Amino acid sequence: MFSPFGGARQTTHIICAMEKSKYRLSDGLVRQNIILMSATAIGPVAAVATNYHNAVALSVGFTVIAFISVLLCRFVPKKLVYTLRVIIYALIGALAFIPAYMVVEHLYGKGMLETLGVYLPILIVNPLILTKTETRFSLRPFHLMLYELAGYITGFNFVCVGVGIIRDLAVNGRIGTLEVNIAFRVPALSTVFGGLVFIGVSAGLFRHLYNKSKESKIKKAEKELRRQKLMEELT
Amino acid sequence: MEYIGKFITAALLGIFLQNCVFERALGLNILLYASRRRSNVIGFTLGLCYIMMTSSALSWCLDNYFGDSSYYPMFAPVLYVSVIGIIYTVSLIAVWRYFPKLFRQIKKFVHLTVFNCAVIGALFLNTQAGEDIISYIGYGLGTALGFFIAGSLLYVAHERLNSELVPSVFRGMPIMVVYIGVLSMVLHGFTGYVV
Repeated sequence: MFSPFGGARQTTHIICAMEKSKYRLSDGLVRQNIILMSATAIGPVAAVATNYHNAVALSVGFTVIAFISVLLCRFVPKKLVYTLRVIIYALIGALAFIPAYMVVEHLYGKGMLETLGVYLPILIVNPLILTKTETRFSLRPFHLMLYELAGYITGFNFVCVGVGIIRDLAVNGRIGTLEVNIAFRVPALSTVFGGLVFIGVSAGLFRHLYNKSKESKIKKAEKELRRQKLMEELT
Repeated sequence: MEYIGKFITAALLGIFLQNCVFERALGLNILLYASRRRSNVIGFTLGLCYIMMTSSALSWCLDNYFGDSSYYPMFAPVLYVSVIGIIYTVSLIAVWRYFPKLFRQIKKFVHLTVFNCAVIGALFLNTQAGEDIISYIGYGLGTALGFFIAGSLLYVAHERLNSELVPSVFRGMPIMVVYIGVLSMVLHGFTGYVV
């Protein structure tokens, strides 16, 4: 149990745990982002995240499917062979589609379900459910699994909504219902090929920014280390 | 003769006009994985051909029996996954029993061939190809052949796209997705797309 008078050792433990949690959250959010880094859920975003509303609806659907599926997949016995487990994972994903369908229908109406078309049901066989559950989520304690899952889902949602906003702006000159006066239009961005090219370029730029931030962190750490050594020498 | 015509039309629709990769952006993750080696592309295509044709035939039965229900769109994924799961299990048991060497070779990636968005997506899109079982099977075959064309085009460019000529941050996935986008644009041009 934590006590405010627990001493330096306990505080260090807590700080370490917090740092680890941050690390786990940012893992799915940045380092292993399922759209920009590993491209495991790129199709629906390229095809239907053509405006803000579609992107938000897709994100809602994905959140419901991924959260329920991964949570339930945890209880699939490991004694079963993987051949059977993967079928059960897919079936759980398909069952999780039912609440996702109902939520999207309730929030956005039947029209949105028609717009999303096949791209909402195909999320049930996402590698996040079929592969990551097996190789990552089920190996972690429950609370850490939730942290990591939140990171992955947030990573998808950020990129999906971001892509939706940029495409809405470039194609229609607005974000949702908010009109934005921009001088140019890029109608090709609303197509599948426009989406693929845009996501490909964004993935490259995202990696560039990630590498830069990693380099600067390493440099900062080295500088700090040198400063500490100098202080030690001086004392 | 009429059936052959229907079959070929549905297959051509799946290969070119409704190509699962270039037109629908389905199965991109397995395409990126499969395009690393020629044998992978062929293996995945054969697997897709088999699973698509058999599951399309069974999904036609499901669509015919339950298609009129208002709840069908909600429960269709469960039924489709069940169909795919049954075919997958029965086929894998048969391969394990009669072709143990083949089983050892395919067991690592066979689940990727079966449970992916190209298969599920194509089952949902099957209704666009026609309303009889011949069209369904033809469209299933067309989807798998369309995947083969996409995989082959990506395999041909794979070495160059991963070479030193490409900036390091774009090497691998980003440039390959851009390349798929450019090929998709070309196909859109052929079908008469105008911005």
